[in-house]
Amino acid sequence: MIELERVARHYRLGAMTVKALDGVDLRVAPGEFVVVLGPSGSGKTTLLNLIGALDTPSDGRIRVAGRELTGASRGELARFRRGTVSFIFQTFNLFPGLTALENVQFGADVTGKRRARELAAEVLEQVGLGLRMGHFPNALSGGEQQRVAIARALATRNPVLLADEPTGELDFRTGVAILELLRTQADGERTVLVVTHNREISRAADRVVELSSGRVVADGPPRAGRAPIAELHW
Amino acid sequence: MAARFWLRWSWRDLRERWLQVVVIALTIGLGTGTYAGLGSTSVWRRDANDASYAALHMFDLRVRLAPGAFAAAGRLADLVGRVDHAGAIESAEERLILPTGVDASGASSDALTILVPGRIVGVPVGNGLPRVGAFDVRAGHGLTGADAGEAVGLLEYHFAEHYGLPPEGAIRLSGGARLDYVGQALTPEYFLVTTERGGLMAEANFAAVFVPLETAQALSGHARQVNDLVLTLGGDADRSLVQGEIERALATEAPGLGATVETREDDQAYHVLYQDIEGDQQFWNLFAALILAGATLAAFNLTSRIVEAQRREIGIAMGLGLPGTAIAVRPLLVGAQIALLGIVFGVAVGLLIGEAMRRLLEELVPLPAWSAPFQPRVFAEGAALGFFLPFAATIYPVWRALRVAPVEAIRTGYLAARGGGLASVARRWRLPGNTFGRMPFRNVLRTPRRTLLTALGIAAAATVLVGTAGMLDSFFVTIDRGEAEVLRGAPDRLTVDLDGFAPAERAVALVREPGVVDEVEPALRVGGTLVSGGTELDVSIELLDLAGGFWRPTVTQGDATGGSGGIIVAEKAARDLGVRVGDEVTVRHPRRVGEAGFETVEDRLVVAGLHANPLRFLAFMDLGSAGLMGLAGAANVVYVTPAPGVSTDEVKRALFAQPGVASVQPVGSTARVFRDLIDDFLGILGIVQLAVVGLALLIAFNSASISADERARENATMFAFGVPVRTVLRMAVVEGLVIGLIGTVVGLGLGRIVLQWLVDVLLPGTIPDITVSIALSAETFAKAFGMGVVAVGLAPLLTARRLMRMDVPSTLRVVE
Ligand SMILES: Nc1ncnc2c1ncn2[C@@H]1O[C@H](COP(=O)(O)OP(=O)(O)O)[C@@H](O)[C@H]1O
Ligand SMILES: [Mg+2]
Repeated sequence: MIELERVARHYRLGAMTVKALDGVDLRVAPGEFVVVLGPSGSGKTTLLNLIGALDTPSDGRIRVAGRELTGASRGELARFRRGTVSFIFQTFNLFPGLTALENVQFGADVTGKRRARELAAEVLEQVGLGLRMGHFPNALSGGEQQRVAIARALATRNPVLLADEPTGELDFRTGVAILELLRTQADGERTVLVVTHNREISRAADRVVELSSGRVVADGPPRAGRAPIAELHW
Repeated sequence: MAARFWLRWSWRDLRERWLQVVVIALTIGLGTGTYAGLGSTSVWRRDANDASYAALHMFDLRVRLAPGAFAAAGRLADLVGRVDHAGAIESAEERLILPTGVDASGASSDALTILVPGRIVGVPVGNGLPRVGAFDVRAGHGLTGADAGEAVGLLEYHFAEHYGLPPEGAIRLSGGARLDYVGQALTPEYFLVTTERGGLMAEANFAAVFVPLETAQALSGHARQVNDLVLTLGGDADRSLVQGEIERALATEAPGLGATVETREDDQAYHVLYQDIEGDQQFWNLFAALILAGATLAAFNLTSRIVEAQRREIGIAMGLGLPGTAIAVRPLLVGAQIALLGIVFGVAVGLLIGEAMRRLLEELVPLPAWSAPFQPRVFAEGAALGFFLPFAATIYPVWRALRVAPVEAIRTGYLAARGGGLASVARRWRLPGNTFGRMPFRNVLRTPRRTLLTALGIAAAATVLVGTAGMLDSFFVTIDRGEAEVLRGAPDRLTVDLDGFAPAERAVALVREPGVVDEVEPALRVGGTLVSGGTELDVSIELLDLAGGFWRPTVTQGDATGGSGGIIVAEKAARDLGVRVGDEVTVRHPRRVGEAGFETVEDRLVVAGLHANPLRFLAFMDLGSAGLMGLAGAANVVYVTPAPGVSTDEVKRALFAQPGVASVQPVGSTARVFRDLIDDFLGILGIVQLAVVGLALLIAFNSASISADERARENATMFAFGVPVRTVLRMAVVEGLVIGLIGTVVGLGLGRIVLQWLVDVLLPGTIPDITVSIALSAETFAKAFGMGVVAVGLAPLLTARRLMRMDVPSTLRVVE
C-alpha cells in the first residue's frame, strides 16, 4: 500500500541544512495498523506529510496505493489526496463554521459522494456522536472534536488514514479511546498510520516504526510488548 | 523594558503585515486627503473671490430702473451726489443696459450658428473708466476714449471662451446692427454668467456685449439716456445708511423711474460665488466624513485582527505578570505606524485632490485673481484626524484583549475552535447543496463583527457614491420635468423677446411680417416680488392667455385659468411663502405711468393655482390682468410656432433681423442651460467618486487579505483534503459577494437618506429657486452594485497567488 525508498527531506536554513528525514525505507501493507513513534523533532510529521503528498521529498521515491508521487504535478497531488488519503490532526482542525454533521459531510462532499448527508450521519453515529450532530465544534470537548475529525476522514472512504498525534491534545483515557477507534478502522482495505511520541500508546499497535533524528531505528512489534488497549494504564 | 526592544518587536510585526498596514494607511490617507484637499478649495475660493472683486471694483450699490424706464444722462449721478452722506461715495458711473440678441455666427471659425439672447452694457470709457466694475481684458485689447460712439465693444469672456471665438471679430445685434468687438473681458457682474431666467453658468446661451455708453445710446436710440448707476463706497462707509438715503431720494425726486437700489448681495453672481462655498464645504465635509468613517472601520478591522492574532502572546504576557500598559505597547505601536503612514499618504492624496480641484475650478470659474496656496491649517486638521482615528481604532481591541482572563487567552485553539458568532442562528437555516455551498454563508455569520466592519466600510463608500450620483440624477430628473412642462403641447414653440413694451397688435404684426411663423400669441413678462408673512420671493410674472392660448402651465392645484385676476405660483413658492390656493399674497410689481415711466406698486392677489414647473421664480397670470401693470394691450414677449416647412433656425434668423426683436429662442433652451451647468460639475463629483471607488477597492482588498490570513488554517485543512485552489477561491468570492451585497444595500439606504438631506437641507440654501425632485437612476444603482458587490466579490481573487503558494505543512503546524 505504502512504499518509501531512501526518502529524504532536507530543509535549508541559511548555511545550515536540517535533515528532517534521512534515507527512510518503509513498506506498509493494505489493512495494516502502524504506529510511528519518536521523540519530538524526529521527523514523524514530515514523514506523514510526505506520504499524504502535502510535501515533496528532497530525495528518494514514494508510492502510495500504486501511485508514484515523485514528480507528480500539483493538480495530480491534490487529486491523489482527494481520492486516497485522509488526515487527522493533533489540533483537530474542524471547520468552526460547520456543525459536527456538516464537518463530516465535508469529507463526503470532497470525494463527490452522493447522499453525502446520509453517509455523514451514518459515520458520525458509528464514532458514537449520533446525538451531537447539530452542535458546532466549540460546543464539543476535545475528545468529541477528535471523533468528529476521524468521522470526517472516514467519510471520504479513502484507503489511507493518516493521524498526526491524534491524542496529543487529549487526556490519557480519551486518547486511548480514540486510538481504539482508529485501530478498528484498520481492517480489510483501510490502512491506518498513527504518529505519536507516547511509547505507552504505541503498545496498542501490532507494528511500531521508531524514528530518531530522521532515521528508522526500529520496526516491529512494540518493544515493551503488545498490550490490549483496555490494559494500557499508567 | 527598553524602548528599543519594543520597537524591534513591532518592526517585526510590521514587516509581517506591511501590505495590510500600507493598505490601511492608504485608506486613512484617502479619507484625510479628501478632507484636506476638498477643504482647501473653500479657502482658495473665498480668497480668489475677495481678491477678484477688489481688483475690478465690484459695485457696492447699484441703482436700477424699471424695464422701459430711462433717465437723462447725469440725472442719477447728480441725485446720488446730493444725499447727506454723498462724501462716502468714491465713484459713481452711469450705464445704459438693454436686452438684445447677439449673432456671433460670423465670428465663429467653426461656422457655428450662434444666436443667443444677451445684453448691451454701455459704460463710460477712457481715462481709466469704467472704474466700477472694471474690465479684465483676457484677449484682444480694451476700449479707449476714442471708441466712444463707434460701433466697437468687448465680448463677455465666458461666452467667447465657450464658443472658442477669436480675440477680435464682428457680431450682429438684433435689428441687424453690426458691431466689431476688439477683445474679450471678465467683469465682476459676470464672474458667473447668470440670466434672469434662473440660469447659472449660462454662457452658452447668454452674451453680454460691453460698449461705450455713447455707442449703446446710439444703437438703441436712447440718446443721452441711461437706466443704471453703479457706485463704490469708501472702506468705512455705512452701506445701508447710504442705500437708504439714495432710496428715499429716488422715491421723492424721481418716482416715475421705478428705481431700486441693490447691494452686492443682490447680485446673483456674487451671491452664488460666496454662497456656493458654504454649501460646497458642507457637502465636502459630509463626504469626507463618510470616507473617513469607512477608512476608520477598515483600520479597526485590521487592528482587531492583529490583536486577535497576538491574543495568545498577550495571555502569556499577562500570565507572566506583565502590566497591561506594557502589553498594550506592541499593538499600539502598530496603530501608531498606521497613523504616521496615513498622515504621509493623506498629505499626498490631499495635494493630488487639491491640484485636480484647482484645475477644475480655474477652468470652471475663471477669475482675475486665482491662487491655490497650500493650506497648512486644513491639512493639519486632516493630519490630526488621520493620526487620531487609527490610534483610537487600536485602543478598543487592545483594551478588550486585556480584559480576557489569561487562561482563556492561552487556551489552545481558543480562536481556532471558536465557532460562535451568529452561526448557531443559521444552524436551522438549511441551505441546500453541499458543504462547499454552505460554508461561505456560515463564515459570513460566524464573524459578525468582521462582516459588519467590512460591510459598513463598503456602505460608507456606497453612500457617498449614491449621494453624489443621486444628486446628479435628481438634477436631471428635475430638468426633464421642467423641460417636459415647457415643451408640453407645443414643443416647437419659440419665445420672441422684444426690446421693450409695444402695442400687442404691432408686436404680432412685427413677427408675422417675414412670413415664417404659424401661430402667434402676444404675452407680457415683468419682474415682481411675492410677499407674505415677512418672506419675499422675486418672481418673473408671465401674463398670457390662460383660457385660449396655445400653451398654458400645468396646474396641479386650483384654477388653470387663473380665476379672475389671480396669480398662479410654483408649488415651492407657495410652500416657502406659507400660502395655499385661495389665500391672498402681496405682489409688488412695476406699473407703467405715462409712456416711459414706471412706479412700483403693491397689490393683494389671490393665489389661484399652483403650477408644476420646478422653477420657483415662475409665476403666471391671465393677460386680462395686464391692466394692473398699466400694460393693457401691450406685449414684450411673443410666442410663435414655425410655419409649416420652416425650421427653427430659419425662424430665428428671420425674426432676429426685425427691429424691436431682442432675441428668439426655442422654449427648451432654459433646460439646455441647466444641463450645461450640471455637466460642468460632473468633473468635480467625478473626483469625489474616484476617491470613493479607491476606498471601496482598498477596503475590499484589506478585508480579503485579512480573511485569507484568518482562514489560513481552514484553507490548509481543505488543501490537505485535496480541495482545489479554485474551490477555495470560489467560496471566498461567494462570501465576498454576500458581504458586498449587504454593504451596498445598506449604502443605498444611507445614500438615499443623505440625498434627502442634501435636497431638503443643503440645496435650498444654495439654489432656492429650484424644486429638486429626488431620484436615483438605474445607472446609479448599477454603479453602486458594481463598486460594492463586484469589488468585494472579486477582491479574494487577489489572494489567489498567496493561496497557491501556501506552505500547507507549515500552516497546519502553526498553533494560533
Ligand atoms: N518548514 C521547516 N523548516 C525548517 N525546519 C523544519 C521545518 N519543518 C520541520 N523542520 C525540522 O524538521 C525536523 C523534523 O520535524 P517534524 O517532522 O515536525 O518532527 P516531529 O513531528 O517528529 O516532531 C525538526 O528538526 C524540525 O525543526
Ligand atoms: Mg509532529
